Amino acid sequence: MFGPFRITNSLSGGLLWKIPWRLSPTQKYRQRKRLRAVDQVVETLSNALAKKGETLKSLERWKAEMPTEAQMLPRDKYTMFDRKAKRYRKGIHKLPKWTRVSQRLNPPGF
Amino acid sequence: MSYFRITLHRSAIGLPKRTRGVLAALGLHRRGQLVFHPVSAQFAGMIMKVKELVKVEEVDRPLTKREVHEQRRPDPGFWVESVGSFERQRQHLEGGKGGEAGAEGEVRL
Repeated sequence: MFGPFRITNSLSGGLLWKIPWRLSPTQKYRQRKRLRAVDQVVETLSNALAKKGETLKSLERWKAEMPTEAQMLPRDKYTMFDRKAKRYRKGIHKLPKWTRVSQRLNPPGF
Repeated sequence: MSYFRITLHRSAIGLPKRTRGVLAALGLHRRGQLVFHPVSAQFAGMIMKVKELVKVEEVDRPLTKREVHEQRRPDPGFWVESVGSFERQRQHLEGGKGGEAGAEGEVRL
């Protein structure tokens, strides 16, 4: 049962793909928290620059294009477009480094 | 003049070289590190590049290293009372009107 030769799925078989197909409720909660944290940073930057009367192209573009956490659909918060997946969606946790990159939009038409 | 108070919250391990370069340019080398930069479009652009990794606040002035250290110091849980300081405080409050009496009291201590 224990020890180096115990039978586990990954030891007795070859490759085992054990990333679950969907996020757990706590993962979803933390994902929302991270989305809000990014929104918070963008808001801080925009307020600070507005006080000084300066503008920033990347900031303006982000504000124009990206939805905030509250505006996003659950579908976009927890899944993303994948051209190879059935029905063109896969869990966002399949994205490499998904907790540290922004993925909010879909390609046009999806 | 206001400043961005930037804390590196998430590590940049495994992220592109450019992202790590931006962090290095901001002076952030380890997680939890705190730096201050003046509010300007230039620094805002750099923060935009690493917005998923940092926590940002706008503050009036940058804290010195010592002040940051003092803020991080935990509450010792005790304080030392001394009779002398208590007496001095009392006489300071009383001796507002009678200058000489207060001076005498201080000599006695």
